[in-house]
Order: sequence, then structure tokens, then C-alpha cells
Amino acid sequence: MKVVVNRDLCEGNARCVLAAPEVFELRSDDQSYVLIEHPGEDLRPKIEEAVRYCPRQAITLVEE
Amino acid sequence: MAQLASPQRTDLDLAHFDIFVQGRAHDIWRKLRAEAPVFWNPGNEQFPGFWSITKYADVIAVSRDTTTYSSARGISMAVNPAEPPPGAGKMMIMMDPPRHVRLRRLVNKGFTPRMAAALEPSVREIANDILNDVAPRGACDFVTEVSALLPLAVICSMMGIPKEDWALMFDLTNRGLGPADPEYQTVPGNPQETAEQSRREMFVYFATKAAERRQDRRDDLVSVLVGSEIDGESLSDEEILYFCQLLILAGNETTRNAISGGLLALLEYPDQLARLRAERALMPTAVEEIIRWTSPVTHMMRYVTRDVVLHDQQLREGERVLLWYPSANRDEEVFPNANTFDVGRTPNEHIAFGIGEHFCLGAGFARVEVRVLFETLLAHFPAIALAGEVERLRSSFIGGIKHMPVRFVE
Repeated sequence: MKVVVNRDLCEGNARCVLAAPEVFELRSDDQSYVLIEHPGEDLRPKIEEAVRYCPRQAITLVEE
Repeated sequence: MAQLASPQRTDLDLAHFDIFVQGRAHDIWRKLRAEAPVFWNPGNEQFPGFWSITKYADVIAVSRDTTTYSSARGISMAVNPAEPPPGAGKMMIMMDPPRHVRLRRLVNKGFTPRMAAALEPSVREIANDILNDVAPRGACDFVTEVSALLPLAVICSMMGIPKEDWALMFDLTNRGLGPADPEYQTVPGNPQETAEQSRREMFVYFATKAAERRQDRRDDLVSVLVGSEIDGESLSDEEILYFCQLLILAGNETTRNAISGGLLALLEYPDQLARLRAERALMPTAVEEIIRWTSPVTHMMRYVTRDVVLHDQQLREGERVLLWYPSANRDEEVFPNANTFDVGRTPNEHIAFGIGEHFCLGAGFARVEVRVLFETLLAHFPAIALAGEVERLRSSFIGGIKHMPVRFVE
């Protein structure tokens, strides 16, 4: 799987960082960045939580 | 077809202001969630018919699908989609992607949670000033003298509106968002014209302000808007004016009601107030619970652009759906003991700010303002009590409290 953050939508609410700190990082431009573009299956539940609770619905999980 | 599917359930009919003034809506929403989660509410002489959406998952599903459920023909129960309001397609909240995304990006960097955090010291100073003003009197109208003033000061400062005009902005907001309430009507018995007059006055005010900022840029949001371009094109004057109107309305009414309703909840649940006083570390969860409990935006309307099935109901193109946020936020399937006010509630994934494309731009500011106000309030006054009747706004759109007399003991 691949994790993508939509730059047009992200507004730095950091809900993803709370859900999956291993995968997301908030940088000084107030945008969330993906630290592991192709994370392992063990991280899936946390990433799904990030996807679900992003208030802007800016995160997509792409199956590869 | 839709009308036939749900005959004569007048007990589920939400198209009456009295329900909201009297605080009876939660009883109806509870029934709707249990018996008819997607319910066709017939129209009446005041409002065209609509689908009531009351479950958390359905409100989210509709919010996510901006192609099927459009914001571009108005966003409230009062709107007839055949005659969209003047701001439809022009004000950001009544717009769909992709234009919505591009307009929002002009200002959203100024509203991130990080920007809100940076503003905290000045929010605290304002909150202290407000409470120091009312403290010597020992009593006040908590709405007009406390909860309204903090968000009003914050949004007006961000927009570069001088202090002498803040009372005017408060007045224009009340008339713009509460036009069905006799207290705010400038044209008795005519909500449409009352709201329209407010809009015109606000446009005149901000047209002057925008002209000033074109000559002399400052560090404020009006300057940002007059200097903005999308694809090399400046915003039109009309777009700028609708943007200013939206920032003012959204920036002060909703947070005011979260603060007023939050204090009311704490006074109605003294055990929760005592718990919060004893354990101030609960403040962040208390703030989220206050926002869930009050859900100051009562509904948003969406226009159905194609035939679609939602929760086993057939919706037709051209119909309207109303997303009832206070109902979604007390959905028993999502929130254990949903009807209990619990300042320690965790998790609390409420959707009082909406979700997706139109997620409240000012959510970070609202959270800081509510938290700082209650921190300051509890520090100032060891005891607070209701001292008169709580008067609710005559509106199905904003869960408003107009007046709430309280007594303080320092």
C-alpha cells in the first residue's frame, strides 16, 4: 500500500500525526508529510484511523 | 414517491422554529435515528420539503460526496433550491470543488491549528479583560457581555476592523444569522428581507474597507483578499465581499454559542463542573465535549444532483438533504452514553465542525477560544449560577442562545 496526502486539502490539523506518528509528520509549512511512503501491513490499522479521522479527508490509502 | 414512503409522521417534523426555541429537537432527532434515519420531511408554507439525515455515518457519507450532494444552491432549510440565495456559488460555503478548494487556499494558512496556538496569549489577554470588566458587578448577561465578545474581538482583529465597529459587526451578525428572531428583525415578520438588509450593510462596509486596503495594505485578512489571485485573476469585488461576510458571520456566532451552551451544560451538570474544577487537566477533553454537546451549527443543507440511494432510501435529483450535526454527535452507535455530558469523554470524534471539503476553517481558533475562556472563567470565579431565563434563538440553522443571566462569586 501507498499513503498519499492531498496538498490542496491538508490544513495541518495533525489528526494523522496523532493516529500514526510513525507515518505522518507535520512540518513548518503546516502540512502533513508521509515519512514511510510504502508502510508495512502492521501499520495499516493506524493509517486507516488517520484516513478516517482526517477532518479534511486529505489522506488516501492506495493499494498496490 | 418519497412523500408516500413516510406518511403523517408529524412527530418527526422538524420544519418549525418553535421546536428549536423550546429546545425540543433532541427528542425528535433521537426518534429519527431509531425509526427513520433518512426521513422525508414534508414541506410547509415556510420551508420546502427535505430529507432529514440524523445518523453519524450518513452525515459523513453525504459530506464526503460533494459531487452528489452540492453546496452550490444554498446551505439552509429556508432556501428554496429553485431560487438559490444571492451568495450561492459566490460565497465559499455555498460552493463546490474545484473553485472552493482554490478560494479556501487563499486564506487557510492563516487558520491552521498552529496559527491558532500562536494567538493564544492575545486570546487570554482579551478573555481576562472581558471577565475583569464584569466581575465587579457580580452578575451579567453571559452572552452579550462575555461569550459574544471574545470571538468577535478575535475575528475583527484578524480582519483589521477597528474596535469602534465591533458592536456593528455583532448586530449585523445577529440580523444575518438570526433573521427569523423578532429581537433581531429589522423588517418585522420578514426574515428574508432582514437578512438581505444585513448583507447589504455589510457589503457597503467592506467595500469601503477593501478600497482602503487596496491603497494601503496591512497585515489583515481584507488585505490578503484584495491582493489575491487565482490563475492570474484577482478575486471579483463581489467575491471579496461575500468572503468578508462569511468570515464575520462564521467567525463570531458559532463560537459564541459553544461558549454559552458550554457554560449552560456545566451549570446543568454540576458534578461535571466540580470534576473539571478539581482536575483542570481535563480541559482539552471538556472543550471537545462542549463542542459535541452544543454542536452550534444545527444543520447544513445539500442539494441532490443525481438519483442516489442513501441508507435504503431513494433520493431523487433536485431534492434537498439536511445534515443534522447535533443528532450525529449524539448517535448512540458512535458515542457510548451519547446523551450524557462527560467532560472526560475519550474518544470523542464528533463532527460539530463538519468533515471533508467544508470542514470549519476556524476550528483551531474555536478550540483555543473555548478552552482559554473556560480556563479564565474558572480561575476568576469559584462559583457561577444561573440568575434568570435562558433565551434561545429562533433558528433551525444556529443553535443559538441570545441571553443568559448569570451571577458570579469571586
